[in-house]
Amino acid sequence: MNLLRLASIASTAALLAACASGPKMAEVKSSIPALKPSEGRIYFYRSNSMMGAALQPEIKLNGKVVGNSKPGGFFFVDAAPGPQEVTTSTEVEKKLTFTLGAGETRYVKTSIGFGLMVGRVYPELVDNAVGQKELEDSSYTGQPLKR
Amino acid sequence: MQSLKIALAGVCVALAACAAEVAREPSELKPEASPRSFVLRDSVKYVLDSRYERVLRGYTEFVEVGSIAQGRVLRSTNAVMTVEGKHVHEAYAVVKDGRLVGFYLPVERSFSPLSQPVSLTLEERKTQ
Repeated sequence: MNLLRLASIASTAALLAACASGPKMAEVKSSIPALKPSEGRIYFYRSNSMMGAALQPEIKLNGKVVGNSKPGGFFFVDAAPGPQEVTTSTEVEKKLTFTLGAGETRYVKTSIGFGLMVGRVYPELVDNAVGQKELEDSSYTGQPLKR
Repeated sequence: MQSLKIALAGVCVALAACAAEVAREPSELKPEASPRSFVLRDSVKYVLDSRYERVLRGYTEFVEVGSIAQGRVLRSTNAVMTVEGKHVHEAYAVVKDGRLVGFYLPVERSFSPLSQPVSLTLEERKTQ
């Protein structure tokens, strides 16, 4: 019985450790640099759910790794305008394609789904209003920001 | 015998989980020189050929970006539209005779048809 309780505590601790623990959007908002007029910005984020928390695959933008999908985490990437391709590789690769305009900001949410053997992480393009609202509860997991 | 049945059931589940690529054909977009703006009056629900369901909410705003052989191409300016199969693609609405007949995929430069077109009530927004 004690062993079972210990295992339960250990797994809960592991799940909590798997969640993003950086500063909230409100704390870093003023440190996020202004977007250059010649570029667009993509925010990547994931809701803070315990489901599949241990699954934190890399996120690739146009074939280049730009970060990881962490529960409750967000980061952003500034990119040249044009076609964009986001991929996340877990059991299967799910691709998202969209366009990015100069001066435009877009929001990509990664979500957990369930495959045959393991969970999968799907990228999804969301409305800006939804993305802005959901980012408020997320923790920053990107590159250090200058104060 | 029992284990064989379980294995077969597993294979069936695996095959069902493998979504097909979104059906599409290359299409050339002719840009609109003087784009008009529209607003959708009522919400519309439609089902993609991949069986994913989508809803276009009332008051979704569109700007006419051009036309393709299948109809006028309208890009939503306050909502994201995507089509989904094996992958997810940003999509613009393709409208003909007041009906949503498919989607223009701007990255793939392709038209993806909607097998069951739905009526759209669009009101043109006059610029001041």
